[in-house]
Amino acid sequence: MTEGNGWLDRAIEALKEPVQFGDAFDRHVMAEIEAGPGPRAWSSRFWTILDWLRRGRPVSVSPLGGLALAAGIALVALLGQDMLEPEVQGAPVAATVDGSVVQFVIVEPAATAVSLVGDFNDWSAAANPMQRVEGNGVWSVTIPLTAGRYRYAFLVNGSIWLSDPSAPPTLDDEFGRPGSVVTIGES
Amino acid sequence: MRPGASQLISVLALVAGLNAVAVTAVAQEPRLRDRLLEPTRIAVDAILDSAHAEGLPTEPLVDRALEGASKGAAGDRIVAAVQRLWGELRTARISLGLGSSAPEIVAGASALRAGADPDDLTRLRELRTRQSLTVASATLADLVAVGVPVDTAVAAVIALAEGADDADYLAFRRNVERDIALGASPVTALGVRLGAAAAGAFSNVEPASSQGSQRPRKP
Amino acid sequence: MGIYDVKGESDAALVERVLAGETDAYAGLVARYRDRLGRYAVRMLGNVADAEEALQDAFVRGYRSLARCTDADRFGAWLFGILVNRCRTLGKQRARRHNLVVFDEPAVAKAAVAHSADRDATREAIEWAVAQISATNREAFLLKYVEELSYDEMTVITGASVSALKMRVARAREDLRRLLAEVERD
Repeated sequence: MTEGNGWLDRAIEALKEPVQFGDAFDRHVMAEIEAGPGPRAWSSRFWTILDWLRRGRPVSVSPLGGLALAAGIALVALLGQDMLEPEVQGAPVAATVDGSVVQFVIVEPAATAVSLVGDFNDWSAAANPMQRVEGNGVWSVTIPLTAGRYRYAFLVNGSIWLSDPSAPPTLDDEFGRPGSVVTIGES
Repeated sequence: MRPGASQLISVLALVAGLNAVAVTAVAQEPRLRDRLLEPTRIAVDAILDSAHAEGLPTEPLVDRALEGASKGAAGDRIVAAVQRLWGELRTARISLGLGSSAPEIVAGASALRAGADPDDLTRLRELRTRQSLTVASATLADLVAVGVPVDTAVAAVIALAEGADDADYLAFRRNVERDIALGASPVTALGVRLGAAAAGAFSNVEPASSQGSQRPRKP
Repeated sequence: MGIYDVKGESDAALVERVLAGETDAYAGLVARYRDRLGRYAVRMLGNVADAEEALQDAFVRGYRSLARCTDADRFGAWLFGILVNRCRTLGKQRARRHNLVVFDEPAVAKAAVAHSADRDATREAIEWAVAQISATNREAFLLKYVEELSYDEMTVITGASVSALKMRVARAREDLRRLLAEVERD
């Protein structure tokens, strides 16, 4: 079979055979899409979030000012170059300082409750509930973190696990749920 | 057989596979008591005991067990996850040096999980003697997590090791991630950012080639 | 959610609708590209379950970063690039975890792949051989001969130089020829 190039043509023909995935596949994809944030979330809410991050907020949020965009909340990392403001782009990163205050943010307009759950709070859903900010489905919480590498996720309405779209994902979803990682360096 | 019994047997089989001290002599981690079923808790406590005896940080192991509990995972899956991390922490500590800090060991374990060789961690330590390796190792793992092939990620992190500080590593990783989100292939994104780093930001850095360096692989 | 009728609507039109807030319109893009992209994932990863996972992941990521698909007329190519990356990542994870590259024949028989009813020995041999060669070379081979991309297009997707890609394709061809000759001799 492998003399001449006929074998190659036959191999390619076999590999080009069509493959069919059923409609169930489509349903799974759309279900996962509908459970998570949409592309619209960034483009329509981005200015709100950017303004909010730049201007600083009332006392209940930590005094980050124009500084400390930690790796865990780097919304700006996902925004296109043309949308970045220089001051945001140049902001120093909190995650290099030992003993940082880190702000976690997620956009979930349909949620009624969101918790930050991770290595830093013994994976307790009650330890760090997030607060709704503005009226556009932005949730936020700020916590102090010492040097280390922390796995975390957002728990929406007590049952839906979401990773942080602006942070690196965990390498494997060890327990079948999505997750994210934030690293704080030592000084 | 009762459902609980088969799970107990599989968990204890895992415990038997560990060179653990006698189960009854193991100290108990209080945070696990209310969150894990008894057979799982016993197995995890045995691992914690051994890890502590070896001088390894145990907090990451507790965290992994609590994560599994929080996510409703089965007991044997939790024990397997804790056991796997234990091995990685041990290897990371040996490769990075016995004087390494807990954050360095945890980040090193992540790098190993991502596919780095223990020798890569040792090399990082040689190149970056006066700075913590936590962020460098974490950057390696995070690059792989966003799609960069591990060989390329290792080459990049090592290329940056002498000249970059922690903030530079984080900015590098975020820039690569942004480029990937914009549609670049991970290797292209990394090559471009590494080239930029060599040209401007860091004076001591050698850029990897744009295809990603080939590092020698053991046969 | 019924079957989404997308006859006549271009990719760009559908993308625009999704970005305007009509999430359902994305189902049309999924239906349009699912089998085409899925074929690559199956050939690359060697089994349907992993291919479905990589494909679903690619579609979801494509949706989430849809605003960054700068040329909506080339949505398919853009999404394909995402899928190639997903297959790489997943392939690496699976290989580490299972020491697997071997194509499991009973699993193939059970897999819900609805192509031609009679899978003869030749096809099984070909798919087995493809699964044996290195992932890097397999990727280049599939992109060149099955997806029929140009080397320039392959460079954009893989990040490798044209000369490196040509070498990978040549090595894949040589390895496949050798493997299929061995099978023939058995």
